[in-house]
Amino acid sequence: MANNTDKIVCRCEDITESEVMAAIEQGATTADEVKRLTRAGMGHCQGRTCRRLVNQMLARALGQKPETQRPITQRAPLQPLTLKALAEYKKT
Amino acid sequence: MSAHKSDAVIIGGGIIGTACGYYLSRQGLKVAIVEQGYLCSGSTGRCIGGIRQQFTSSGSIKLMMESVRHFQNMEQELGTDVHWHNGGYLFLAHSPEKKQAFLSNIAVQQAAGLKDVRWVDADECREIAPGMDATGLLGGSYCPSDGQAYPFAVVQGYAGKIKQAGGSIHTFSKVSHILQQGGKVTGVKTESGREFSAGVVINAAGPWSKDVGQMAGIEIPVEAERHEALITEGVEYLNIPMLVDYRADGGYFQQYKHNGQFIGCYSPVPNVPGHSADSTFEFLHEMPKRMLKLVPGLKVLKVIRQWAGSYENTPDGNPILDRTGLDGFYTVAGMCGHGFMLGPAMGRVAADLILSGGRDMPYPEFALKRDFSQAEAMK
Repeated sequence: MANNTDKIVCRCEDITESEVMAAIEQGATTADEVKRLTRAGMGHCQGRTCRRLVNQMLARALGQKPETQRPITQRAPLQPLTLKALAEYKKT
Repeated sequence: MSAHKSDAVIIGGGIIGTACGYYLSRQGLKVAIVEQGYLCSGSTGRCIGGIRQQFTSSGSIKLMMESVRHFQNMEQELGTDVHWHNGGYLFLAHSPEKKQAFLSNIAVQQAAGLKDVRWVDADECREIAPGMDATGLLGGSYCPSDGQAYPFAVVQGYAGKIKQAGGSIHTFSKVSHILQQGGKVTGVKTESGREFSAGVVINAAGPWSKDVGQMAGIEIPVEAERHEALITEGVEYLNIPMLVDYRADGGYFQQYKHNGQFIGCYSPVPNVPGHSADSTFEFLHEMPKRMLKLVPGLKVLKVIRQWAGSYENTPDGNPILDRTGLDGFYTVAGMCGHGFMLGPAMGRVAADLILSGGRDMPYPEFALKRDFSQAEAMK
């Protein structure tokens, strides 16, 4: 789907603007749906850049104010951590 | 607003609802899926994507063998890559009791027609799962035709086919009433007051199926229970099957072939009833410990996210697939953590049951009113 004029929206998962637009055209009305259709925001950084871009694209396509869109859920760990670090964690 | 009209209304846009909808569409029915959130927003989108045939009830074994056949053909059938991969499942036995239980399960599974399941000794386990620490391991129950797939792609594939066949998907539409007249179901009404009329209504609401049953005064013995999961960054595929360790400090995890991510979970003790999808630090600490105990070499892998979702448990660990006391109202729910894997076959069987008017009940062990004392041992 990507072509050489397409823009990368989600850097972690290599998801482009046209892929996000295709998800919206398919009926997605929320960032949660776009994420599950395209994987935008499912990568290492959990949407640090793309969550804003996806919300802007949704709002524009649906004629909403950008703040109407709820951002995708971010979960721990906020930065990737090794299995070793997590397994060895001790409360101090 | 006039009522939306279809042949069958399905409450729930997860794997069960969309699979039922797909098979009913194939038989010419106009289907309407009515989902409280978006597709995959409930249990299906929170599962870890494992697909196994190793069960102890012959009904589940046979359904799962059928499901695996559907998954094998799914890319062609749905026109979308669902990332099916037969990576296998290896259940580990660290005690003579577990070994004995697995040996008798294997006999039951082979008798039900699952020919490639077998007992493997500890040495063979090491070969099957390179890098696994086999300390204290007596062997395992191994089925190479078990596998994995990507839940979002499967549900979207089914949903696409439903729409192609003239059906419709209604997201952010929470059912609040089951409509009936003269002992027959006539449709549903949503919280926003929209009516969907149909002569068939299917309760495929997973962890919410009890609430949906209550709307029609029907008791569905399904309880939601929180389970947590985590996923790592992707690395080269290491060709390790899904490892299932039933010990008190065990868990289960696999690596997705399509993107190299490890994904896993364990069953919390004590269990956590309710619909909460909150994640805990306890899990984020405990799950890596359990993974590294089994495969120490994974220690450098980074966890990128944790989350939680609901199991939908019945008293015996087996699903409910049946008509109800209300004519035309069916229940396909209570998958006990196996909804994604059971989904394709369950959808096909449910469609046949519904087209027979609820008369041809192929799996009496999944009846709504049954003796719930015969528990599934490989939960």
